[in-house]
Amino acid sequence: MMFLDTLSRFLPARSNYLVLSRFKHVQAARYKRSIKGNKPLTYEMAGPPHTIAHIKGWNSWNTCNMLDGLRPAETAIDDEFIRRFITGTWHDLIASEIIIKRQHNIIRIAAITVQKISVTKIYFLIGYTEELLSYWLQCPIKLELQTVEDRTAVVFKYI
Amino acid sequence: MSALQTTLRRTTAVLMPIGYQPSRVWCSTRATDGKFRVLDLKKKAFVPQAKKKYNKTITLPPRALSMPVDQDWTNVWPGPRTFHPATVPLALRQGYDQKRASPGKYGNAELMKIPNFLHLTPPAVKKHCSALKQFCTEWPKGLETDEDCDRHFPMTTITTDYCHSSPTIKDPKSRIVTIKIKLSTLNLDKHARDKMIRLVGDRYDEESDMLIIVTDRCPTRKQNYDYGVYVLTALYHESNNFEEWERQKQEADMEHYIWENNPSKKAYVTLTRWPEKVSDDDVKSHSIDDDMVGQKYKEAVTELLNNGEDTYTLNKYREAVLAVLLPQTEQA
Repeated sequence: MMFLDTLSRFLPARSNYLVLSRFKHVQAARYKRSIKGNKPLTYEMAGPPHTIAHIKGWNSWNTCNMLDGLRPAETAIDDEFIRRFITGTWHDLIASEIIIKRQHNIIRIAAITVQKISVTKIYFLIGYTEELLSYWLQCPIKLELQTVEDRTAVVFKYI
Repeated sequence: MSALQTTLRRTTAVLMPIGYQPSRVWCSTRATDGKFRVLDLKKKAFVPQAKKKYNKTITLPPRALSMPVDQDWTNVWPGPRTFHPATVPLALRQGYDQKRASPGKYGNAELMKIPNFLHLTPPAVKKHCSALKQFCTEWPKGLETDEDCDRHFPMTTITTDYCHSSPTIKDPKSRIVTIKIKLSTLNLDKHARDKMIRLVGDRYDEESDMLIIVTDRCPTRKQNYDYGVYVLTALYHESNNFEEWERQKQEADMEHYIWENNPSKKAYVTLTRWPEKVSDDDVKSHSIDDDMVGQKYKEAVTELLNNGEDTYTLNKYREAVLAVLLPQTEQA
């Protein structure tokens, strides 16, 4: 970003400036500051995408996007489906991003949940999710959850 | 009246969208109570339902706090698993913060992302190995060194199996078969060896004397292997064949310089037998096995023409020529 600022200062041509200004105005995965400065962000949300592999990790771990990897498109669609299914099934309970790690044909799904419902219900939901997802995706699914007391436990900063 | 109203309420209840409670508007009490029913338009009698309070879940303290120091970690963490802060008794931190310390292990999604090797501690690996030991067989006798292996099994077949993090176990690249064999193990004579090298082209590596055949044209590994072995067999027999047209090989077709077939030998023989005249047959039958000077000369000329001119070969040639022409100088 600083490089682009410097560059645009040295380039007087308007057409060049227009091109550069598009680079500067990236919004994707960047959160807007609230007026009161009380919008909670998790660690993952606090880092913009270019910090992946520098200060934060990936949310999907698989070999599909490596050189000569198999089924990259199918895997991406499956991951999105898993994320939507879990956020819907564990309604208002997931406090972090859903991390999907694939090893051979096993899919292990990790997330942080809030201790809002009884343990019995959590056990039911774990079994329900694993059973249904493994039926749809035709492979063993493991749900590996960590629970926190409330959402403030995963807040990294307020903006 | 009562029956009619019940029917009416039922129908409204069915027709009304969810969340809309008709009883609040129509009547505050049931008609059978004997009280006078009041039309409550402003919903004053309606008390909003108290928000359901979440009962705090009773959770046990983290397991890591009550772990004995001398426990068997392989029982706590037997297989690969996502990091769990309550189970791992380590004060880990992960993440980058400009002003504060890195976030701790509780509620830290970064620690859950990283693949961990907590199930592969040295004692766990030892346990695995000891469990697998019963399925192992002894190393065969007589194959102690690599040279022994090469001698008894000269042919190497290389195939690759691929493991992906996806539900499919098939990879098109696993069909490729590489067959490696040392050319000297095939017991070829001079002609057959030369023919083989010409037939295989760049599949022969001169430095290591290796013939490498890579087959990937068939869809399965078995077919590719069979094809590779077939090609090797065909090459072997074809190399041992001597075709009639191979006799037409001229001096210019030779792959490298052979001293015996060249005018250099004739010149040398003429020189050594001076002053008698030498015929072509004399040149052919002349042997230099006992002639040290001749052998040196032959070696120098062959090296000069095969390896090219450099200081070393030229010097050697000079010494050889001096030995031939001025033998007394050489002795002195």
